[in-house]
Amino acid sequence: MSVLLSLFLKLSAFSLVAFGGINALLPSLLELSVNQERWIDLQTFADYFAIAQAAPGPNFMTVTLIGWHVDGVLGALIATIAIAWPSSILVYHLQRLILGMHDEHQKKTIQYAAAALAVGLVLSSAWQIALQINHSYAAYTLTLLTIGIAVFTRWHPLYLIGLGAALGALGLI
Amino acid sequence: MKSLTPTQLFISFSKIGMSGFGGVLPWARRTLVEQDKVLSSEEFSAILGICQIVPGPNIVNLAVCIGSRFAGIKGALAAVLGLTLGPICIVMLLALIYTHYSYLEAVQGILRGISAVGVGLIASTGIKMLRDELRFPAMLLVVAITVIAACYYQLGLGWVLLIASPFAWLLAQKKARKV
Repeated sequence: MSVLLSLFLKLSAFSLVAFGGINALLPSLLELSVNQERWIDLQTFADYFAIAQAAPGPNFMTVTLIGWHVDGVLGALIATIAIAWPSSILVYHLQRLILGMHDEHQKKTIQYAAAALAVGLVLSSAWQIALQINHSYAAYTLTLLTIGIAVFTRWHPLYLIGLGAALGALGLI
Repeated sequence: MKSLTPTQLFISFSKIGMSGFGGVLPWARRTLVEQDKVLSSEEFSAILGICQIVPGPNIVNLAVCIGSRFAGIKGALAAVLGLTLGPICIVMLLALIYTHYSYLEAVQGILRGISAVGVGLIASTGIKMLRDELRFPAMLLVVAITVIAACYYQLGLGWVLLIASPFAWLLAQKKARKV
């Protein structure tokens, strides 16, 4: 199977299991692209994750960059379309169904259940990704510092990203 | 409700895509509810709730829902394209620069620093979402089951969802009755 076709099919399937958004699925994305398909090595994955964080735009851009790594601009477009189309079609039809639902109780039940699962998945994802891409105590310290500042202050995330870049440039991370 | 053409949707979502650092959802709310005033806060929350239930990139789901609500399938396409075109060009440009300079010690350090912050930002989103669960603390059981299954037993996503969903469903019914 050609690598572009495989990229398209695997990421399309991935779109349909990405509960809690792409961030919740980063560990599975890493497993798929680094260990199973070998589209990319672990270090480059970590670097692309950083680039996607530093750039403006949706955080699924890590996927776009994996596509770029596989086959340049064409790969990037194929990866982006693959990650978006199945879930887009699903949500297009579901929103009418759910917004049109008259049973308030059932509507709330669906939302609460999904929210709790999403919280669990996002927290697990942060933990698993940290284990893969943080290689020093300094990096873990910076991660914890970020959590503290992001939770307890209203700092713009860009300041934190700048702080991380500066500490890294000085060779401290 | 105001009406929006596909072109207007494209422009609104371009603004959202290009201003979102560290996730775009907060920017979507700021642009659509506070600045352009095309949706009320309640409408936005209801739509966002649905987009988070459905798998896939939440922000793309949001663009599809809002775009199609104002201008059908054309609107959905316009919103998604607006959201993604600019950012895709920028990340590819950055990736191009990266391939030329990734050997530099300083560049590697910068990326390590940003990665560590990025992980922290994801974790902090999770912690902020956790606050909503505190209104009905029994729900924390679902969060705990999910985290233990995924991190400690390292089960795949399918298994994690299979194990946690029944608890989520039961507790959500109780929560819906109570809250």
